[in-house]
Amino acid sequence: MKVLPTTCPSCSSQLNVKSLVCERCQTEIQGQYELPLLSRLSLDDQGFIIEFIKASGSLKEMAHLLGLSYPTVRNRLDEIIEHIKPAEKSKKDGKEKKL
Amino acid sequence: MTETTTNTKGANSNLSHRFDPFDKLRAGKLTIEWLFNPFRFIAGVKTLLIGLTIILISAFVGSLSNTHFDGVLDLHTGAAAPMWFFLVEGLIDWICLAVPLFLFGLIVSRSAFRTIDVLGTQALARWPYLIAALAMLPNANQRVLAYLMSKLIQTAPAAAINPADVLVFGSAMIVVLLMTIWMVALMYRAYAVSCNIKGARAVATFIVGLIAAEAISKFAMFLLVRAFLVSP
Repeated sequence: MKVLPTTCPSCSSQLNVKSLVCERCQTEIQGQYELPLLSRLSLDDQGFIIEFIKASGSLKEMAHLLGLSYPTVRNRLDEIIEHIKPAEKSKKDGKEKKL
Repeated sequence: MTETTTNTKGANSNLSHRFDPFDKLRAGKLTIEWLFNPFRFIAGVKTLLIGLTIILISAFVGSLSNTHFDGVLDLHTGAAAPMWFFLVEGLIDWICLAVPLFLFGLIVSRSAFRTIDVLGTQALARWPYLIAALAMLPNANQRVLAYLMSKLIQTAPAAAINPADVLVFGSAMIVVLLMTIWMVALMYRAYAVSCNIKGARAVATFIVGLIAAEAISKFAMFLLVRAFLVSP
């Protein structure tokens, strides 16, 4: 199964979506679309967020389900927050530039 | 182009089934991580209760051979004392390290963390000293120490020692040394995990905290001994 690439293999910059296609009628839309913030995260981070939502946002519940300690799970969440911050900032900067 | 889009869609829709983000974390359980970083799997009230029970048992074992935990990183054979004295020593050692590290955590950590995790993990981190206290149990240790003391103060030896005594004593010293190293490693991991501090900041603040804790605990021990000697 192929994994959605989010960064350029050549220069490590953020990749954008250039084309979208309808599987049913093969209509293709071309343009420049930014990847949503969550898609830009690593699969590890995305998986954590999905599990976090499934656990109703309870770190205690997640720690219990995974057999890990509460601080371990919370530290993982903090790591993801640290990953999101620069992505959010670059998105904001991009918007300001356009304006 | 179409093929790529289709595959990508498939990958995303199956994300939670195909990909387990906790594989790496779970894999740790299969390794020696339980020995050197149990706090990845256990923290909070559970560690506090287990840790305090271990401090209590260590105090009892220590009282059998008059082994005092008279400082955060200290273990010495000394005078006989009631059981409560050994227990208070253990509690002083624990709290004298947990409080400075908690304060450092407040200053240095960028995360919100729980007090119970700091207290609990630091209590559990002391468990290697239970093994050290057990290693000090054989009477051979007391005989060798009495012999060494008599040599030091140049008096007649209190008791004769034989090569087996020296062997037991030497082994006990090695165990105590290894347990001290292991305990410090656990204390560091407890601090890093419970306060979410990494790298040089974690190492530097831990070393400063440990030195401060050693000094504070020594002063607390002095007050404890004074109170004990004055009490009827």
